Amino acid sequence: MSINVDMSGSSDAELIQRLQARDPEALAAVYDRYAQLAYSLIIRITRDEGIAEDLVQELFLRVWNHAREFNSERGALGVWILSIARYMAIDYKRSAQARFSTRLRPIDNTDHPCFSYKSEAAEFTIDRIRIVKEAFSSLSSDQKRVLELAYFEGCSQSEIAKRLKEPLGTVKSWMRAGLERLRMAAKGGAK
Amino acid sequence: MTHPEMDELYELYVLGTLEPELAAEIDQHLEAGCEYCTEKLQEAAWLAASMAGIVESKTPPKALRERVRSLGRVPKPERSWRVAMMALSAACAALILFSVWSAWQLHALRGQLNAANRERNELQTALEILSRFDTRTVQFGLAEAPHGRVFVNRNGGLVFVGSQLPPLPQNRTYELWLVPAKGAPRPAGLFRPDAKGDSVNVSTVPVNPAEITAVAVSVEPRLGSSAPTTKPFLIVPLG
Repeated sequence: MSINVDMSGSSDAELIQRLQARDPEALAAVYDRYAQLAYSLIIRITRDEGIAEDLVQELFLRVWNHAREFNSERGALGVWILSIARYMAIDYKRSAQARFSTRLRPIDNTDHPCFSYKSEAAEFTIDRIRIVKEAFSSLSSDQKRVLELAYFEGCSQSEIAKRLKEPLGTVKSWMRAGLERLRMAAKGGAK
Repeated sequence: MTHPEMDELYELYVLGTLEPELAAEIDQHLEAGCEYCTEKLQEAAWLAASMAGIVESKTPPKALRERVRSLGRVPKPERSWRVAMMALSAACAALILFSVWSAWQLHALRGQLNAANRERNELQTALEILSRFDTRTVQFGLAEAPHGRVFVNRNGGLVFVGSQLPPLPQNRTYELWLVPAKGAPRPAGLFRPDAKGDSVNVSTVPVNPAEITAVAVSVEPRLGSSAPTTKPFLIVPLG
């Protein structure tokens, strides 16, 4: 199935303003835009559709509750939603398994600098997602594997090295090369 | 660490997987208002969000949209909840005032305001959970001992309200656990009571009453544990 992000209608900035005015339909519009991505991501991490439904509902409750904190001029709503979706899913999985020694260091406050943007060139778009997806598919299997462990399981580089039984330097090298290719692709797509 | 050395770390920072000592260096740059780090972190956050597109796309069930839509229409709270909500609102206001005062005293206004915002958000979440019609209440303890209430909601999470909790050493914290019928307890948040031994703790993890049989509290190292390291001093059966 292809990626479906409904970018029609209101901009993210307009949606934030409507959420701040407590318009329930704005929440539905945000859902239409980001729910499929968030739901797919959570299923990939938890491997459980029932849990994914609960977590998506919880995710949008957070959007509703935190709407007033967003800067409608510069708030990166989609980035925040997907970041929180990932943290919630990994947190659920780790809680269920209770076998990780290290903890994720979640960034969930809406005013963190990484959840804002300076120009429209960096706007979160379906094109950008597709470009990153294509770039990811072109990575080597080792590069994909280390990035998947970091992204879907929240593993640090040392945890990945332990898990794959590879030297830490090798893991860092795979990750560095993989991220550089994704970065280059994303920059090209943002122009 | 120089900026070129940090260039490889920004994505790991936003993914939350960077080793703590390296993340602390980036935090220091952010606190100093470093524009380079801010810009790089924004790019890294965009890239990390875009990576959500690499998974196989699944369509959420149609009923989920309606459930989410209804979140924006919170029903008017029942009369019996009003007292609890007023108390929580007062606590919310007190916490915000206290945080602002502390920030002024410590000349760290920005950091403290962020903390106050987080506390306010927690309490807002608590209010949302308390106002839901399907939230269950369980009372525990006696007047002269640790006592309080646990509010659980399958979709909305858990609110733990405790009183007369024993004081903790500086390097210890209380950790809340969800105890399933089978398997290991799951961490559900860290908290420290105030000087009077009172605490309100909000956890947003869904609590399935068919699976979770009790809520427990144990004393843990300051950063918490992934499994209890001491015998829980409080176990509240949910049945």
